[in-house]
Parts: sequence; structure tokens; C-alpha cells
Amino acid sequence: MRAPKTLDLFAPEHLPRRAVRPPVQPVQPQGAPERSTRPSQAPLWLAVHLPRLAPESDSGVPRVLHSLAVRAQRFTPRISLAPPDAVLLEVRSSLHLFGGVDGLRRAMAGECAALGQPAILAFAPSASAALAGTRAGRAFTVLEAGQLAGSLAALPLAALRWPPQLIERLARIGVRTVGAALRLPRAGFAQRFGATRLAALDQLTGRAADPRERFEAPQRFRRRRELPCESDSHALLAVTLRALLEELARFLAARQSGVLALECRLWHRQAVPTRCVLRLGAPLADAARLAALLEERLRSLTLPEPVRACELRAGSPVPQPMHTGGLWRPGERGGLAAAPGVELIERLRARLGPEALETLSLVADRRPEAAWRAGPPALAPDAESQATMRAVPRPLWLLPAPRLLHQRRGLPRWHGALHLEGEPERIETGWWDGREVARDYYNARDGRGRRLWLFREREPPHRWFLHGVYG
Amino acid sequence: MSGAADSTRSCQPPPYAELHCLSNFTFLRGASHPQELVAQAAALGYRALALTDECSLSGVVRAHVAAKEHGLHLIIGAELRLACGLRLVALATDRQGYGRLCRLITLGRRAAHKGSYHLTREDLVATLERCLLLWLPGERPQAEQAHWLVGQFPGAVWIAVELLRDGADRARLEALRRIGRTTALPLVASGDVHMHVRARRRLQDALTAVRLNVPVAEAGWNLYPNGERYLREPERLAKLYPPELIAETARIAARCTFSLDELRYEYPRELVPAGETPASHLRRLTEAGAQRRWLQGVPPAERAALEHELALIAELGYEPYFLTVHDLVDFARRRGIFCQGRGSAANSRVCYCLGVTAVDPQRGAGLLFERFISRERNEPPDIDIDFEHERREEVIQYVYAKYGRERAALAATVIQYRSRSALRDLGRVFGFEPAACDRLARVMQWWDGSEALAERLRAAGFDPESPPLTQLVPLARELLAFPGFPRHLSQHVGGLVISAGRLDELVPIENAAMPERTVVQWDKNDLDALGLLKVDVLALGMLSALRKAIDLVNGLRGTRHALGSLPAEDPAVYEMISRADTVGVFQIESRAQMAMLPRLKPRCYYDLVIEVAIVRPGPIQGDMVHPYLRRRQGREPIEYPSDAVESVLRRTLGVPIFQEQVMQLAMVAAGFTPGQADQLRRAMGAWKRSGGLGHFRPMLLEGMAARGYSSEFAERVYRQMMGFGDYGFPESHAASFALLVYDSAWLKCHEPAAFTAALLNSQPMGFYAPAQLVRDARAHGVEVRAVDVEASEWDCTLERSGAAQPALRLGLRLVKGLTRTGAARLTAARAAGPFSALSDLARRAGLERTDLEALAGAGALAGLSGNRHLAFWDVAGVERPLPLEATNTPAAAHDTAAPAADAARPLIAAPSEAESIAADYASVGLTLGRHPLALLREALRGRGVSSAEEAGVRPEGSAVRAAGIVLMRQRPAAAGGVTFLTLEDESGQVNVIVWERTAQAYREALLGARLLEVHGRLQHAEGVTHLIARRLFDRTGLLGALVTRSRDFH
Repeated sequence: MRAPKTLDLFAPEHLPRRAVRPPVQPVQPQGAPERSTRPSQAPLWLAVHLPRLAPESDSGVPRVLHSLAVRAQRFTPRISLAPPDAVLLEVRSSLHLFGGVDGLRRAMAGECAALGQPAILAFAPSASAALAGTRAGRAFTVLEAGQLAGSLAALPLAALRWPPQLIERLARIGVRTVGAALRLPRAGFAQRFGATRLAALDQLTGRAADPRERFEAPQRFRRRRELPCESDSHALLAVTLRALLEELARFLAARQSGVLALECRLWHRQAVPTRCVLRLGAPLADAARLAALLEERLRSLTLPEPVRACELRAGSPVPQPMHTGGLWRPGERGGLAAAPGVELIERLRARLGPEALETLSLVADRRPEAAWRAGPPALAPDAESQATMRAVPRPLWLLPAPRLLHQRRGLPRWHGALHLEGEPERIETGWWDGREVARDYYNARDGRGRRLWLFREREPPHRWFLHGVYG
Repeated sequence: MSGAADSTRSCQPPPYAELHCLSNFTFLRGASHPQELVAQAAALGYRALALTDECSLSGVVRAHVAAKEHGLHLIIGAELRLACGLRLVALATDRQGYGRLCRLITLGRRAAHKGSYHLTREDLVATLERCLLLWLPGERPQAEQAHWLVGQFPGAVWIAVELLRDGADRARLEALRRIGRTTALPLVASGDVHMHVRARRRLQDALTAVRLNVPVAEAGWNLYPNGERYLREPERLAKLYPPELIAETARIAARCTFSLDELRYEYPRELVPAGETPASHLRRLTEAGAQRRWLQGVPPAERAALEHELALIAELGYEPYFLTVHDLVDFARRRGIFCQGRGSAANSRVCYCLGVTAVDPQRGAGLLFERFISRERNEPPDIDIDFEHERREEVIQYVYAKYGRERAALAATVIQYRSRSALRDLGRVFGFEPAACDRLARVMQWWDGSEALAERLRAAGFDPESPPLTQLVPLARELLAFPGFPRHLSQHVGGLVISAGRLDELVPIENAAMPERTVVQWDKNDLDALGLLKVDVLALGMLSALRKAIDLVNGLRGTRHALGSLPAEDPAVYEMISRADTVGVFQIESRAQMAMLPRLKPRCYYDLVIEVAIVRPGPIQGDMVHPYLRRRQGREPIEYPSDAVESVLRRTLGVPIFQEQVMQLAMVAAGFTPGQADQLRRAMGAWKRSGGLGHFRPMLLEGMAARGYSSEFAERVYRQMMGFGDYGFPESHAASFALLVYDSAWLKCHEPAAFTAALLNSQPMGFYAPAQLVRDARAHGVEVRAVDVEASEWDCTLERSGAAQPALRLGLRLVKGLTRTGAARLTAARAAGPFSALSDLARRAGLERTDLEALAGAGALAGLSGNRHLAFWDVAGVERPLPLEATNTPAAAHDTAAPAADAARPLIAAPSEAESIAADYASVGLTLGRHPLALLREALRGRGVSSAEEAGVRPEGSAVRAAGIVLMRQRPAAAGGVTFLTLEDESGQVNVIVWERTAQAYREALLGARLLEVHGRLQHAEGVTHLIARRLFDRTGLLGALVTRSRDFH
């Protein structure tokens, strides 16, 4: 069945997307770029667009794109990222190595498939054109600059990723494609829509240069250092490690990054190397802090043999805003002391393991059993735990669960008769989470003078429970 | 140890009066209705109850009415928190103290935004007199506050001791006793009551969470620790409080003798000139009016009736009310604002003479005036006055200016929880995500509080057995139970309260959300209960349109028409109405009305009165429509069981259609008194929520049996009353509306160009969007001309044409995004001379780029730039002159504004027809080109879709496919789940009926589509054709970027 005829104002997104390689267009002599005498030496760009990466994906370069760029390094050294969804490769001189356009297309598609990403690939003499083509879903191959204008003409302007308001303004003068935009008078276009947009069109057609920032693969830090002599002295180890860590710090500083994981290997004469892995809660680049943490871990190790060499392997650098160093050290005149609690907590966790540490905090809840909680230590003081406690005194020790008490003549007993003191406190609340309480709390004293905290249920059969003991 | 186990009971607890008690009019704190509190206090044998809502007297009238019923001593007071933190309760001892309390609350409320208040110690000292004060010391008593209070109000201050079993009662009592000794202040027991029974504790917690806008689990210390804040049994209190503190409550109560019954409302006096009495002045005005109305002299019958009415008004002392209404109408007339009264007293001869209405008593089939002013009910007569909707504010501000803010204010409306708002709030209380809250609220949107809830919840993806829902639903029931839980105060649509003296000593006044508006804290029922005068000043779009249309006609034809003075009873007008050719006509333009018109075929004014009232849910559900039509067409005999019944029902052929007829039937056939009949009317409005007409049923049936009516007749009358419900339409309103129906129909019939222009110039109003109004006008031969910067004014105007009807020039007001100031500059610049080019226009009018773009988008630059693409290109090329150059140096401005690039016309394709149509809709909301469906017709025909014209002539029961732009979706409450759709294509409209099951199955297409394809079967009934939908398909994609608007009514 045929699809119904559509109005020609149809937004292009209603049309089915198909990756079609158009037949090679006849060369149209346009007032386009100056013809090189050796066209084969002009750049040729391959754009690889990963449509699954949402165009509005937020800041930064998606990890997949990064991996793709690393893999693409085997085809060419000239690689550029076009975040958030594409990578550009300059491949003119690589063509003959990889079986021409078709071979390269297959090989690159294979790399994308290995990353689990469908991809659209386009070749064009201009990086912008190749990019715009793939983003419009056209897997075209244009090898010569002269063919470019023809292939570009039908591209929707939206493929240029210009601001939607600008696309809208152009649509209102009936300009929805690159071709229509290129037909507008240059001066009039620049006056109305800005010189930078005109420049972008010129880059697209190859009329203007299109410089792209070259992708540099990140490196990992890995250094080994021999000890002056075999030793099991922690002091000597520490000095060696400190030197390695300072190298690491410089490495990280150059990349404005920190590390989240660090492995230290201690090489022995016979035994397998001793490994010691440090994992951090936040990226760190500070040699002194790293040294302190690492030494803490080393101290708990037993070495099978003396150490011959140290090796430091860092995980991938994680970008991190760098801080300006203070003029004075902490504690010195004018130097701010680092938050001591944070360091203490990190140090305790490094020594005892992350689960061994908990803090108690107050919860704003009227039910005694719900009025506190234990949790991971907060690095910053918790505002909620400052919640005001009530005026009526409460015991410090609460039983894990209230203990049912015997009663005689309606009065509770626990190791003998109990003497109730003061007035009751009525607590009726907590109905919303299935742990409703309705109790009258009393203070009581037992035969040995201990002060206890009891309650009597408000509902029949009015049982008595022991809930807490005053210290 | 005293409180743990029950100890000895004292046989007779000492009398206790609760002096600190909040109702749910302390919004989101109190958890019980005032009536509930009063009833419970009476049941517990309290000596008295003080209702002390926080800085509010909104609940006191309800409490007062309930207290009279239960014989309880009610004390009026308020809880107040001053800016300094001091909290107290003020109790009015007498009328003067009450007035001062009202003024204090007014002061605090007027000094703050709506919903809050601001009071200082100075305010308290300056305003409060003859009130008793209870100091609320709070958790940490500050003795300074007590010292200050005793210094300022010696002998009138107590320390409120509120023992709420939080474990610190004894310490608190001791601390307060110490303060009492140092300040010599007496202590008194009170309960900080927030609910009438402790079972409302959960609801109170939930309301607290709503107030704080957090889930209840996170409300923490803000929740009360226990449920002690209820009206506790006197025995319990006797065990908790020292006896002298209990005894003190009764002593305070004995000093508070004020009752709301003492309020004496007085009408404003300044409307009566010196030397006249209200009665003589009203008579003079009425006489003068009578001379104008009856140029040949007042007919004797009318004279007698007039005298009778004046006597009745004098007997009940209502002259000032009529004078007030006359004053407003007179003001409007002087300002040239169209207005018209309606309602019980409005159709009187007095009002006819005063110019309040134009319902000629003779034309009005002899409506009886006395019926509407009842001696027995002693309620003020009810007159609603409609004003032009765009100019009503002038009338309201006139009232404020004339009487001052202390003497006039709007009535309040108590906004109550509806299922939607209740579930949204409660969803948040239980920590649901906002999306889930909305989903929950939507599921429950049509829930009437009964059955099948579990299924509906399950269908929406909620587990009705899960803990949050098992807790949520009972709370929702409590919020939704009759009479409706108040959420906040809002302003009444137009009820103005005016008093002779200070209104703010009668009732507190607060700020409304709208600037320049103030509202009293009582709603319509409260005002009625206390006999306060209220005039309803309402806004009506059709009056604006009629004024504009008549102005246009008078300008065009040199006539001097006015409201109500158009040629009466013109057969051509009724001919047009009977054809249902009524797009744009007041009241009878809806689809249901149009379906009725060819059946009823109105032939005279009174037929219009019936037409207005009969197409309402009440008559439809009470099954009055078909009997009436059958009798009118002579297909059913007209019989009356008695002469008395005939007198009531003769004018509607024996079928009760109006609300008044039902009440009169109860009176003549069942022996109800007028007061009882009025109660019956109220019960009819509420029976769905309270479950039946209750004791009125036996009263009705027995009353009719006693008067010899058959039980079958009695049952039928009863069923009709149930069907009427809240939806009966009063004849007194229909009579006034029918005048506007006639006037608007006359204009449509004889002056369609002026009528359409006026409707367009009064938007938004009415049932139809500009596109349909313009389409209809063109179908009636009116030439419509496009928006054009070279010809259009802000409003739509009439231009010369060769034909009898002038041409209609669309106005700049239709251009989306064009500012009013921009349009004014444009027309001013044009007055100085025509524009030579767009640059000339831009320079001389100094328009912002957004305005220019709006004009380009509307196609209004066609004469200067050509098609829209070129217009936008030109607009984009206009460089905005710098502000300095813009005004002073035209030469410089000229240089910058002349675009250099104009020289090179760009190579741009002209917009296609479809693009132009889409752009027309997007900017002007209508097109003068082809209907968009015309462009799709070929494709649609390929799918077997017929046009509306073709479909309409197919035989009954044939399978038809139709497609069109969705003009309207309606799901009337009375239609039981049926959705009505109107589709429009290039040949006309298709009326579609979607039964509930089909609607469920094709919900998305039904609700989402702008272009809808419907497969179904045709049904013809009495000249009306419907398509009964079987399947629905969303074809919006075919429209591309075309923008259409549909109007959804629920």
C-alpha cells in the first residue's frame, strides 16, 4: 500500500531515514574553492556519526566516543572529536593502506560494531561537510571538492546543529536546506544571520579552512624505580615511593587530572611481586596525600622478601579542576588548616576498611526507635543531625527491640516490682509507614535503683514494655 | 502516678468551655469542620466553645448556624501570632469587641499577601478593645510577653495552660504558675483543639505535611507527638487540670456574650438625596422610568402591578437594595457600558422601569414578581447584573471609589478540595513522585467517591492493596466528604458587599490574589445566613460583542439602536434560528443547542426562553425534553391533573422545565411553604453528595396524595426533581438571556459583517474560534479581507464594498505576537501618510523586530514586501536604529534603516499553498485560503474517506469514513461518559459521537489528534446527523506543520 500523499511542508523528520550512497554527481563548476593541481593531495575527511548518542547529551565527551577515537588511531594520526556524537578522521593518505574508500569504510564500521554502536559514515573533502552529511543520515562519499556543493544542497539546515532559533528564522524565509542557504546573497546573509554563519557555510563548501583540534589519546602513568639496595626498610621504601608519587603528581598536573586508583608493586628477588591497591573516593593528584594513604596501607603488609624495586601504576587520569597551591602550608602562618575530620575519616577508612566506620545521627521522628540512624560517615557535618532534640530527657541506651514485661495488677514488673516516676509522655504517630506506635512512656526505677524507660500500649490489652535504660 | 490507670470517677465533671479551638478554616492546620466541632462540643456537654481560627472569621457563620441548632454557646475569637512572636487568642465579649476584632484581622490581612497576615504589638494596642486575651506561652514561655500584655490590657488577660501529655505537663504548669504569680495573671485551661475527635489525627498530620510541602515521613518535629488536640471529654480534663483552671473557663465564657445574631446589616444611605426617604426616592425613579417605558401612559394592569411591587418592597425594607442596583446600572449607562440584570427580582416591573432589565413584563408572559421575593424567607432579593466583560472592572472600581475599601468588598468563595486536588496533595504526603501524583489525580478525576475505585487504581498501575493507598484512600474520602473540606479562600466571581457603616467591623476584609481587589472572609451562603446585601456584578463577553456590533451598525447605517431596541419579533430572525444557523449567537450556538433548534423551531421570544433553559443537564436528565417536544409538535396530548398545576405548567405545556416551576409545584401540589420550597431547591443541588432528598420525599409524596394527586404523578414529579439536581435553570435568568439571544441573532441575520467583526473584537469569548466565525461569515456572503499593514486597525473594521454588506477587514489584534503598543505606533504612522516600503514603515513606526516579525508572519506585509519569505527576509534586514537616532535625527535613522542588501533580491522560492495556509493558522488563527483538508482530499479519497457534505447525504446506518480537523471535544457530565466531537473539513462539519468503550479503546487518538479520521455509522434523527464512531485514527501527521486549535470542554 502506498503511503498517503503528504503536504510538501512536511518536516523532513517525517520522511524515513535511509542511509543511501548517492550516485557520483557530475562535477558542477561552481564558484567554489580554488582547484588544486593535485587534488588527491587535498584532505579527505571521514566522519563517523554514532546516532545512538543523543545530540543533547550533556557536557563532555561520551566515553564511547573516546574509545572510538583511540581505536581509530590505527587508521590515521589526524583525528578530531566532534562531540557529542561523531569522530572525524583525515584519511587521504591512508586510503591506499586500507583498500580505498570501501575498505576503510568497512574497517571503520567494524570498529564501531566492536563498540556495539551502529554508525553512519561519510567521506568529504571538508570536515564540516562530512559531519553534516552523517548527522543528516546521508552516508555519502564525495572525493573531490567540486562535487561537494551538489551533495550538500539537499541537506537540511538542522544537520549543521545551528541554534534552533536561527534554523527557525531561516525556515521562515523559506530556507530549509544547505542548498537554499548557499543561494542567498552573501552580503545579505552575513548582515542578517552573522558573519560566523557565513564562515561556517564557507567551511562546509571548502571555501574556507576548517581547522580541527587534534585528538590526543590519554596516557597512563607507569614508572618503575630500583632501590639502591635490597631492603625491607619502610623508610627507604617510603623515600622511593615519594619520588615516584611526585612524578605522578607532575604527570597529573600536566593533564589537569587526578587518579581514582593506584597500584603499587614491590618487586622481590624470588617471590611474586607484592601488590597493594589504593582506591580513592574522589580524584586525587596531591603527592603528599597519596603518600600518606599509600604508606598507611604498606604498613599493614608483610613482605615475603626484601624489596628490589618499586613500580607505580595509576588508573586512567580523571579530569579534575586544579587548585592553586597555597603560599603557606597548612598550619603555618596564614595557611588554612585542611578540614581535619575529612582527613581523619579517610585515614581510618584506609586503615580499617570502608565498612568499619559508621556515624550516628538524629532523625526528626517522634518514635524513639526511628529517631536515630547509623550511616556512612559524612565528610561534611550533616545539617539534619543538628535537629533539635526535645526538652524531655530520653535514655541514651535503647533496647534493640522493646522487651515485653510481666505485669501484676496492671503494673509492670522486671526483676521485681518497678516504681513509676513522673508523668507519662504520650506518643501516637508513625501511621504512614506501617510502624505506627501509640504508647504512654514512663520513667521507672527498679529495686537496684536503676532508671528504666517503659511504655504501656494505648490499645488493649495494654501490655507493658521495657524500651530503654538510663546510663 | 495518676494518669496511667483509671482512678475513681467524679460523678459530675465541672463545666468546661473550650476557648482555643481551630477549625479547618485555619487552612491546613485544623482538621474538622466548624459544624463538627460545634456538634461534638454540644454532645460532650461543654459550657461553651470558642471558635478561634488563626486570624480568620471565615468559619464562624457555619459554626453560628450549627450552634443555634445545637443550643451551644458559641464564642467568636481568633488566634493571632504577632510579628514579634507573641501568640494569643482574642475573644470578643460584645458587639464592639467583635467589631474591633474584625478590624484587627482586616489590618493584619491587608498588610500582607493573600493567605498571610502581619500584625504588631502596636496594632494590637491601637485596635483591640473589649476583647479577652489568652496568652499562648508556647514551649519556652517568655515572661516579658506576659508582663507586656498585663500592662496593656489590665484585667483582660489570662495565661492559657495547655496540657497535652507530652511528658512535660507538670513542669509547664509549674513554670506558668510562677509567671502567673509574678504578673498577677490568672491561669485558665485550654486545649489547642485542632480536631473534633481524635480519629482525625492522621488527617491532621497529612494536612501538616501538605502545609510544609513535604512527605509526611519527612515532616519530623512539625507533626504533633500525639492526638490530644481534640475536644476531650470533660472527665478526662478534670483529671488533667487543677479545678480552678477549669472553673476559669466558664467564667471567661460567661463574659463573652456576643452573638452573630446581634449584627444589624444596614444598607448604604447615600443613594437617597436629602429630603427624600428611600421609599419616596425609589418611587420617583420608578415613575420616571415608567414614563420612558410606556410612552402612551402606564396601562392600568401594569400600574396596579407596579403599586403592588412597591408596596412589597416597602414592607420588606428593600428599597436601598433596588437603589443600589439602579446606581450601578446608571453608572454603566453613563459610561456607555452595556449591562443587563437577571435573577429573581430582576424581571419585576420596578427593575424594568429602573432600566435594570429590558424584559417587558407583557412580553415576558406575565412572570410574577412576588414569587421571587418571599415574605417568609426574609432573604434579600437576588439580582445578578451582567456587564461587558472587558469593562466590568470599571464598575467594581466605581463601587470601591464610591464607598471606600472599609465599606465595600467582594464576597469570598471557599475553594474546597476536589478529587483532583485532594489526590495531588495526598500523593505528595505519601512521597509519590510528581508524575505519579498527577497520574493518581487523573485516575480519580471523575471519581464521585464511591465504587470501583480499586479497579480504576489497578488500571492506572497502582496497587490498591499496597500500604500507601490503603491509607491514602480513607484520607481522600475525608477530604471529599460532604460538605467539602476547605482548601483556601478565593474571590467570588462578582458578588459585591456594600454596607452603610464600616464593613470591616462587620466581617474581616482581606486581599485577593488580584491587585486592587479586596474580599470579605465570608462566602455567599454566610452572607445569606446573616442577611447581608450582595450585588452580583458579573462579566459577560456577549455584552461586549453586542455593544461593539451595535456601535458598528449605528456608524454604518446612521441608526440609533441600543440594547433591547432592535426590531422585535422579526420572523426572518426566527427562521434563521430554526435552521440552526446560529454560529456566534449567544447561548444557542453550542452543538447541543443547534441539535435542538430544528426540533423546537422557536417562533417567539418565549420560545427562546425555553430553548435557553431546556438544553441543560437538569431537564435532559429529568427527561423533560422529549415530552415537551412531543407536546409542542402535537404528537402527545397536554393534560393537567388540576387547575393549580395547570397554572404552574401551562406555559411549558405541562412539563416542568424551569427551576421555579419545580418549587411552585411543590407549593401548589404538595403544600410546601415558600421557605420549604427553597430548602428543597438547595437539597436538589446537594442530593448527589448527601444521598437523596431525605425527608423531602415523604413530605412531597404525602403532600400530593393528600391533595388528591395520583401516586404515579407524584413519583414522576419526584423523579424529575432528582434529575434536575443542581442543573435546573431558573426562568428568571433564562428570560434575560433570551433577550441577548434575540439581539445577537438579529445582528447575525441582518448585519453579519458587523456582528462577526464585533465577535472577533471581543475574543476570547463564546464557543467558536475566529476561524469558524470567519468561515461562517464568508458562507453568508461577507467579504473578508486579510490583515494588512496598509489597511488594518487594531480591531477588525468594516470597509466599503460593492455589496449590501460591507467587507470585513481583519484587525491587527488577530496577529499573534504583535504588541498593542507596536500596533498603535503603526496605525499612527500610517495616518501621516502611506508607507513606501518596509524600511519606511520600520523607520516611521519605530517597531521592534519582534513586532515586524509578527506582521511578516501574519502576511500583513504582502503589499510592501511580497510573499512571507520575502517579508521575513526584508524584516531580517532592517537594522534597528539606535535609541538616540530613533527619535531625534530622522536623517541618520533613515540611513541605518535603509538596508543595503535590499538591492539584491534573494533567490527564494515562494511559499507553497500549504505553507501559506499553515502560516496563516499559526499567526492569525484562520486562513482566507483553501481549507487545509482540500489539499489532502485526493489522498483521503484514496483511503475511502468522504467529505462532510458527501457523508451527510448518505442513508441512515451506512458505514462512513470521515476526516477533519477537531474543532471541539466535549464530555458533558450529564452525558454519562459520551464524548462529542466536531470535525471540520472544506465542505462542512461532521458531528461525531464516541461511546465510552470506543473512547477507551482509542483514547490517544481521541485526545491527541488534531486531524482525526473516524470510521463509523451514520445516524439521522429529527434533522440532525451524527456519525457514531467505531474506530478513530490520528492523522495529524498529514497536516505537517499546520497549526490548528481545538477547544476542549469538559
